[in-house]
Amino acid sequence: MNSFVLIKQVPDQSAKAGVNADGTIDRAKAKRMLNPFDCFALEAALQTKRLYGATVTAITMGPPPAIEILYEAIAHGVDQAVHLCDRRLAASDTLATAYALYNTVRYAGDFDLVFCGLQTTDGDTAQVGPQLAERLQVPQVTYCESFEIQGEKLIARRVTESGTQVVQCPLPAVVTVANSAHRLAYRTLRGVQRVHQLQRDEVERNQVIQTVSLDDIQADPARCGLKGSPTIVAATEKVGEIGGKCVLFQGKPIEAMVSDLLADISLVELVQR
Amino acid sequence: MSSPIRYDLLLVGGSSSNLILAHRLLDLAKLSGLKLSIAILEKGQQFGAHIVSGAISNPHVIARLFPDYKENGFPLEGFVTDSHLSVLGADKKWDLPEKIVPKGFKKDGYAILSLSHVIRWLADALQTKAKEIPNVQLDLFPGFAAHEILYDHQDRVIGVRASESGALNDDAVYADYTCFGDKGFISKDLVAKFDLRPNPQLWSVGVKEVWEVQEDYQGQVWHTLGYPILDGTFSGGFVYGMAHKRLALGLIVSLDSQNPNINPQQRLQDYKSHPWIQKLLTGGKLRKYGAAVIPEGGFYSLPTRFAVEGALLLGDALGVLDVASLSGVDRAMETGYIAANLLHDTFLTQNFALMEHYQKQVLESFVGQDLHTSRYFREAFLENRRLLEQYLPAVTNKVDQGHPWLGSLQYGMGKPIQRTTDTIRALNLILGKTKSEEPVTYTSCHESIKPEFNPAAVAVNTKIAPEILYTRPDAVFFAAPKYHEGNRHIQEFSASTCQECIATYDKLGRTTPCVSDCTAEVHRIDSFENGRVHGMSLENCIQCRTCEIVCPRVNLRVNPTYEGSGPDFYGL
Repeated sequence: MNSFVLIKQVPDQSAKAGVNADGTIDRAKAKRMLNPFDCFALEAALQTKRLYGATVTAITMGPPPAIEILYEAIAHGVDQAVHLCDRRLAASDTLATAYALYNTVRYAGDFDLVFCGLQTTDGDTAQVGPQLAERLQVPQVTYCESFEIQGEKLIARRVTESGTQVVQCPLPAVVTVANSAHRLAYRTLRGVQRVHQLQRDEVERNQVIQTVSLDDIQADPARCGLKGSPTIVAATEKVGEIGGKCVLFQGKPIEAMVSDLLADISLVELVQR
Repeated sequence: MSSPIRYDLLLVGGSSSNLILAHRLLDLAKLSGLKLSIAILEKGQQFGAHIVSGAISNPHVIARLFPDYKENGFPLEGFVTDSHLSVLGADKKWDLPEKIVPKGFKKDGYAILSLSHVIRWLADALQTKAKEIPNVQLDLFPGFAAHEILYDHQDRVIGVRASESGALNDDAVYADYTCFGDKGFISKDLVAKFDLRPNPQLWSVGVKEVWEVQEDYQGQVWHTLGYPILDGTFSGGFVYGMAHKRLALGLIVSLDSQNPNINPQQRLQDYKSHPWIQKLLTGGKLRKYGAAVIPEGGFYSLPTRFAVEGALLLGDALGVLDVASLSGVDRAMETGYIAANLLHDTFLTQNFALMEHYQKQVLESFVGQDLHTSRYFREAFLENRRLLEQYLPAVTNKVDQGHPWLGSLQYGMGKPIQRTTDTIRALNLILGKTKSEEPVTYTSCHESIKPEFNPAAVAVNTKIAPEILYTRPDAVFFAAPKYHEGNRHIQEFSASTCQECIATYDKLGRTTPCVSDCTAEVHRIDSFENGRVHGMSLENCIQCRTCEIVCPRVNLRVNPTYEGSGPDFYGL
């Protein structure tokens, strides 16, 4: 069984991000991290390894430093990785990204399941997973929080607005994993040891982590990057503080807090409105 | 089944001793071509994350390994230009005249260090160095602690367990030889198994804050005696001027105190309320807080054997800190240096019997020599409790009145002949001017505690700028602890034992040592309908291990954490 997991390196939210004059993120300056949503996808892929003996391949698209998150994935137990790295991919929107990833997935070989995070913390579109499934022409399960494989079928529980829904579909399939799924288990000793070995040994590294260009995956450069992206960023604007007044009532007996609440006229007005 | 994870050498703990060991060993292997694989386990998320120290250190070992350490990026906070030993009253400070400052407290020319920075630098430099030496394979494992020592059927140490997946081959790191450079988190098991320490270790706890202040005090250092701890507890304070207008200040409090309720973090706040320190901190900002225990027993707390089959003890695991000169860092580094030389020859010849020389070489080095010289340092204060219970308070009292010398006189006049002979004897013991080799027996910290002990009242300065003081829960924020879900690293063996202890202290109208002496608001007493029980807020823990040491009934055990959980001391 083969599981793929698509992961992305994003600017570290807890660090100060460098912002260019035009309002875009200066990725060279920003501290980098594995997209937090992808941690759940990574854990789901590793579950298929633990439960069904799957071989797990991590795939990322990004500039050379993105190899850091592939190392991180290997430290957590991923078997091998593909790194799509090409300058012509710069400024890709979701359409162009899904196209490039589609070609990378095809290049990486046969798969039973492709796991994606729900969305990224830099783009926040949640579009790439579903677009990829459409391009691959396989079933997709979105907002998946748990799953099992029975024979050739995937049985999955997905989160909906009103609760959960259990669905089933044939394999292969694309699954986007909700952040209510299992949290990513800690990296393993063996995984960390393997990363050390790969960092030392270039030959072994090239076997385990394939770095590929658009030409390698036979993608049309005209459909990638800025050229292949119909999205136009007209402008970015700073928004001011949003949200209303918030008052916390705490640390007193309930009766006292209720009377405090009633005494707060602004809240009473709010309720009447 | 997967193959075991195996190395030639396993270093437990990203400590100064282990990192110097690794540096020295790599230098030697580069020259000899010795083929060697080394793994280093560090329980913190990063190297240096669980490291707190003063630190003023003689840089001789560093200079031996890195002759260019002043220019190569080694993190220095400066060199001591102005060193003082001071006695604090509640109000005034008296700097002892140069002539009567003991040699061990003269620190001029020593390096001022932030040890957490030094550790991170040593670890980074080690990785860079290893890249140049193809015959050495060096793997660092930050975020992995040793949780269990593994032995073969002949009780030879063969490695440690470092994770808990359940499959031993995935969790264990095996090695031909293991070095323990930890602060006792795991080496205590080795010591216990082979009964290596018949005389208990005496522990102190050090609480430390780093401040950004208005003035530049780089190079100025003060060691202080007296205020705020005048109840007979062996203690002292320090203020070190670091680079970039930063100050390190802290209080070191011995845990073999009779006082069950010390509360070191709050005593540090009392210390800061001294007018002299208040002035230093005015307009400043607290940047970091941390705490760690310090082995102070010295010569007579040394293990009977420094090495067992397949493993040895270094630094604080061994207990080589010299309390007379307050130096631990260079001593720990030296044990690593000595061990590296022997390990190199051992691996080259595959003759593990060579490691038997380790103990002799440590004892013959300046480490062992100084420990021997100050072998009665702690005993001098234990034997003659009046020194700290009466003499020191008498002096601090007179310091406040502006006549520090009168304090000694007044104390001596009480019982002139006996007190003079006692004090001369104590001075000889403290300064190592005695020929006696008679071993001393220590009482372990938890047995020294007297529940009914009544500490002498200390006048705390009330004219305090409140913004420089921090409650214990607030201080925790500045130690930045972070824990994974489901963490349970402190074990309480028996709930009923805790309840008995609580009842004992409740009767006396005071709280238990674990609650009062905790440096981070972990231990608490919860009241329920059926009684009062011990509870813990483990997410606050900054892993100093004080509770384990002071628990009167030895009912607590602090284990290393999983997943690199714990405080972030980087900067201390």
